[in-house]
Amino acid sequence: MIGRKDLGLLILILVVGTVVAIINPRFLSPINLSNTANLIGLFGIFAVAQAFVIISGGIELSVGSIIALLGVIFVDLVSSGALAPGMAVVLVLVLGCMIGMAHGLLVAKMGLQPFVVTLCGLLIYRGIARYYTEDATAGFPFGASFPVLEWLTAGRFYGVPHSLIAFLAITLVMGLVLHRSVFGRYLFAVGKNEEAARYSGINTGRVVIAAYVICCGLTAVAAIFIAMYTRSISPSSHGNFYELYAIAAAVLGGCSLRGGEGSILGVVLGTVLLQVLQNLVNLLGIPSSLNFAVMGSVILLGVIADRQFSKRKTG
Amino acid sequence: MPIPFLEMTGISKSFPGVRALDDVSLSVGPGEVIGLVGENGAGKSTLMKILGGVVAPSAGVIVLDGEPMTGLTVARSMAGGIAFVHQELNLFENLTVGANIFIGREPLRGGLLRFVDDRELNRRAQPLLTQLGADFDAATPLSALSLAQRQLVEIAKALSLKARLVIMDEPTSTLTSSETERLLATISRLKADGVSVILITHRLAEIGHAADRVVVLRDGRCVARLDRGEIHAETMIRHMIGRDLKTVYRAPAGPPGDAILELAAVRTAYRPDQTVDLDLRRGEIVGLAGLVGSGRTELARTVFGLDAPLSGEIRVDGRPLPPASPAATIAHGLYLVPEDRKRCGLVLDFPIRSNITLANLGESARRGIIDTAAEDRQARIQRERLDIRAPAMTVRAGSLSGGNQQKVVLAKWLSMRPRVLIFDEPTRGIDVGAKNEIYRLMRELSDQGVGILMISSDMEEIIGVSDRVAVMHEGRIAGLLQRGALSEQAIMSLAVGRLAA
Amino acid sequence: MKLRISTVALTLVAALTASTSLAQEKKALAFVVNGASDFWKLAEAGVKKAQGELPNYDLQFKYPEQAAAAVQQRLMDDLVAAGVSAIMVSAVDPKSSTDALNRIGGQVPLFTTDSDAPDTNRIAYIGSSNTDAGKQAGEIALKALPDGGKCIGFVGLPGADNARERIEGMKSVIAGSKVELIDVRGDDIDMTRAKRNVEDALAANPDIDCMVGFYSYNPPRIYEVLKESGKLGQVTVVAFDEDPITLGGVREGTIAGTVVQDPYEWGYQGMKLMAKYLEGDKSVVPANELIIVPTKMIDKSNVDAFEAELKDRISG
Repeated sequence: MIGRKDLGLLILILVVGTVVAIINPRFLSPINLSNTANLIGLFGIFAVAQAFVIISGGIELSVGSIIALLGVIFVDLVSSGALAPGMAVVLVLVLGCMIGMAHGLLVAKMGLQPFVVTLCGLLIYRGIARYYTEDATAGFPFGASFPVLEWLTAGRFYGVPHSLIAFLAITLVMGLVLHRSVFGRYLFAVGKNEEAARYSGINTGRVVIAAYVICCGLTAVAAIFIAMYTRSISPSSHGNFYELYAIAAAVLGGCSLRGGEGSILGVVLGTVLLQVLQNLVNLLGIPSSLNFAVMGSVILLGVIADRQFSKRKTG
Repeated sequence: MPIPFLEMTGISKSFPGVRALDDVSLSVGPGEVIGLVGENGAGKSTLMKILGGVVAPSAGVIVLDGEPMTGLTVARSMAGGIAFVHQELNLFENLTVGANIFIGREPLRGGLLRFVDDRELNRRAQPLLTQLGADFDAATPLSALSLAQRQLVEIAKALSLKARLVIMDEPTSTLTSSETERLLATISRLKADGVSVILITHRLAEIGHAADRVVVLRDGRCVARLDRGEIHAETMIRHMIGRDLKTVYRAPAGPPGDAILELAAVRTAYRPDQTVDLDLRRGEIVGLAGLVGSGRTELARTVFGLDAPLSGEIRVDGRPLPPASPAATIAHGLYLVPEDRKRCGLVLDFPIRSNITLANLGESARRGIIDTAAEDRQARIQRERLDIRAPAMTVRAGSLSGGNQQKVVLAKWLSMRPRVLIFDEPTRGIDVGAKNEIYRLMRELSDQGVGILMISSDMEEIIGVSDRVAVMHEGRIAGLLQRGALSEQAIMSLAVGRLAA
Repeated sequence: MKLRISTVALTLVAALTASTSLAQEKKALAFVVNGASDFWKLAEAGVKKAQGELPNYDLQFKYPEQAAAAVQQRLMDDLVAAGVSAIMVSAVDPKSSTDALNRIGGQVPLFTTDSDAPDTNRIAYIGSSNTDAGKQAGEIALKALPDGGKCIGFVGLPGADNARERIEGMKSVIAGSKVELIDVRGDDIDMTRAKRNVEDALAANPDIDCMVGFYSYNPPRIYEVLKESGKLGQVTVVAFDEDPITLGGVREGTIAGTVVQDPYEWGYQGMKLMAKYLEGDKSVVPANELIIVPTKMIDKSNVDAFEAELKDRISG
C-alpha cells in the first residue's frame, strides 16, 4: 500500500537518521526519541490538517496565527480559572471550526482566492491575539497545575508522549477519511477537477468548506497541545511560520500545491523528516542560526530527487 | 499535378508493441489541399508529428526541395515552411492579435531597453490578416475573438513564419456551419496564394468541398488515394473502416411514451428575454440543433441544475426539479454528458474506476466509507457493458482515446439507471467506429424507455440519429421537425432564424 | 457610496487633527520600545509614575506593531512629524540603523535605552549594562557550582548585541575557573524551539551541570524540561529577567538565581531626564553619556521582596 513517493521519503529519513546516529549515538537514546516523537506529534497534527486544504486545491496560511490566538485564549481561560479545562478545550475547538467555516465560506461561496483569504486570516488572528493580552505573555502562573489536562496533553505513556498518540489516532482517522471515505474521494475530485466534480453532482462548495473546517479544527487541537507544551505564549511570536512547516511537510509528503494529490502517510513522513532535521541541528552542534537553511536545503533536495526519479520512470 | 516540394516515401514508425505507420508515402505540391482522413489511431497524428520533426521515423525518407532530411528537427521543419494549426490553439488570451502572431519575434525599438515596437508589429500583422479575409484588426485583444477568429490568428501566425504548408488538425470540430464555411474559404485563399494545406478532419463533407486529393489511412497504412473526382463521403468511409456503413439511423423499437422531461417557460440567464418550452418523451431521441451560441449548452446546464433558471419550471416524470442543484437533478434520474469531456466529464488523473463510480459512490459505500470491492464490481459491469478498451481499471482516464473517454463518462451515468440523458456533442473528436457504438447505445437506452436529448452541431449526426429535432435560435426553440421532415435545409433555415417552411 | 466614504474619511481626519492639536499644547515625550513584551509593561509603569511628577508634559509609550527596524523607524518618523519634543528609543537594530537614528536625532533630542547606539548623535543611553549583567550571572554560577561544571546557554538571537554582551560578560567572570560555558543554542524567539533546544541539549549531554537562560522566556523553558525529566534541583539553573516561573523557581530553590534589569527605572528616570534636558539642564548627561541603572542579583533570600516591589509597581 506504500506509494513510491512515500517509500523514497522513508528511505531519506532512514539515511538521515543513520548518519546522525553514527555521528552522535545519543540520537537513538530513549529520551531523545521520546522528545522528538513529542514534537512530531505537535507539528504533525496541523500538518495533516493542512494537507486537507492543499488537496482541495487551496492553502491555509493562517495556521500559525490560529495557533497563537487559540493558544492565548486557551491558556488565559484555563489559568484564570474562568472555564474548566474541559470546557476551554471544547470552546477552542468550536472556535477553530468556526474560523475554518468562515474561510471555507469565503473561498467556496464568495469565490475569493484561498491565498488571499488565509493571508488576511494570518494578519487578523495575530492582531486579535496580541490585542487580547495587550501584547503580554499569556502563561500559567508558577506552580499552577492541571493534572488531568497536563497528563492528557503533555504526559507520556512508557516514554511515548501523548501528543504522538493523539497524532497517530488523528492520522488513522483522517487517513480513513481521506483515502477510504466518500468525502475523501470527493475531496480529491474537487482538487483535481472541480468542474467535473460539479458535473457529477458533487456539492463542491460543501466539500471545500469541510476541508477548511477540518483543517482549522485540527489546528485548534494542535494549538492546545502546543500551548500545553510551551505553557506560556507570547502572542506576537508564538506559532510564527508554523504554516510553512505544515506546507513544507505536506509538499515533502507528495501533496501538489495545484491540488488533488497527496497522502496522509506522506505528510506524516514529511513531518518526521522536518523534526529529525531540527533535532539533528541541535545534536550535531550545528549553529542554530543554520536551522532553517538545513531544513530548506533538505526539502529542496528531496523535491529535486523526487522529480528526477519520476522523470526517469516515465520518460 | 504541380511538382511536389515535399515528398515522404516509405515512412514507417514502430512504438513498442505497435506499428503506428507502415510504408506510408505522401507528397505535397505548391497550392495543393490534401485531405488526410482515417479513424482515430489510424496514424494521422504520428505522420504529422514526423513531418513536424517531433517524432523520428523508424524507416523512410523525407525530401524537402530535393534535399533529403535525415534527422529532421522541429526547427528545421519550421524553417522549411511547415506550420501547424493545432486543435487546441496555442494562443495567449491576454495579448492582442498582433502580439500573438509575433510572439517570441517581436519587432524591437529603444536599443538595449528592448521595448516592443507595437506600431511596427501591428503594421506587419495587418496584411496577413487581410490576406486571410479577417474581420478584425491586429490591435484587437485576443480575448474578444471567437474560436473561429482565433483560428485565423493561428493561421496568420503560420503565414508570418513564411509557411508553405499549413497542417490543420480538426480545425472545424468546434466551429459552427457558417464559421466552417469561412474557414474553407480561407483555405481556398491560401491555395490561391500558393500555400499548401493538409486538412485532417472527421467531417467528411468538408473534405469534399476543399480537398484536391484525399489520402486515407487505416491501421498505419495508406489504403486509398482519391483524386478530386473520386472524393465522396461514402467512399472515404468505406476505406476508413474497411466496410460500408449502413444507414446510421436506427428506428426506435416502438412509439414514444409519455413525456418524461418537460420544460415550461424556462428562462436562462444566458438569454433572459427568451423562454423555452420543450417536451421529451420516453423512448425517443430528440436532437437539439442550432448554431453555436444559440443557447443549447446553456439550456442543458440549466436543466441539469448547474445554473439557476430565471423563471419557469423543469419537470421530470411530472415532478418539478428544485432549481440549481445537480445533486437533486441526478436524484431524479436526469444526467448530462457534457460537451467538454476533459474539463467537465472526467477527472483525467483519476483511474477509470473512480471516474465511473464518482457520481454513484454512495451505492458502494457504507457509512461514508467506500467498499472497494463493491466499487470495483460496479465499475467492471459498466466496463463490460460499454466495451471500454483499457489495459486495467486503474489506468488514468486521461490516457484513453476520445471514444473510450466518452464511454467512461457514459458508464458513470448508466450505472444509475437514467430516465433522461442529455448528450452535449456526444461524438466530438471521436472516430467513426466509436461514434457508431455510441449511437447504437443511445438507441438501446431509448428503447428501454430513457428519454434522450442530443445537442449536436454535426448535421449528419442530427439527421442520422434523432427521432425529432428541435432547432434553437437565439435562445428560443425556433421550430420542431418530425423525422419525416428532417433535412439539412429545413434545420439550417430554422437555425438562422427563418421560419419553418 | 464613494461620496459617503470620503465624508467619513474627512470627519475622521478632522477629528484626529483636533485631538493631536489638543495634545500639542503640552510638550510630548515619547518612549519607543522595540516590540511587544511583558518586560516593557514595567517601563510603562515607570513612565506612568513620571507622568504624575511631570504634569506639564504629555508622556507617550509606543509599541511598534512589529519588532522590525523599518516599522519602528516609521513610527518614530510619525512621532517627529506629530511634533514630539524628545524620543527615547530601544532600537530594534541599532548597529545598522545609524543613519536612520541620526536623522531622528537631528530633528529632536534622541535618547537610547535597553540597547545603545553609541555611534549616533543620541544624547545619552539609559539602561543596564548587559556585560555587567552577564558578569553577575557568572557570579551566580560560580557560587552555585563551587566544584566547577559544564554549562549550556539558551538564547533567542545569539548574534544580537544584548545576547552577545551577556554571554561575554559571563564568560569573562568564569574564565579561569572550573565552570565553563560549552555551547549556546538559539531559538529565533520561538518558544517551541526554545523548549526543544533544552530537551535536545539534555539528551545530547545527560551529564550537564548547569543551564543558563539568557532571554526572559528561556529560564521557564529550562525549568519545565527539568521538571518533566525529573532533574529539577540536580542541574543548576542560572536565569535572566523576572518571568513569574523564573521567580517561582528561585523561591523554590531550583533556580540558583536570576539577574534582573530595572526597566521601571529606565522609564521613570528616562522621562525625568528628558524633561530636565529639554528645560536646559544639560548637566544631567554625564561625560561618558552613559547612565547605567544597575542590574540586580535575585536569589532565594531577596526574591519575595523583589516580587512584592514588582507587583506594587505594575498595579501602582
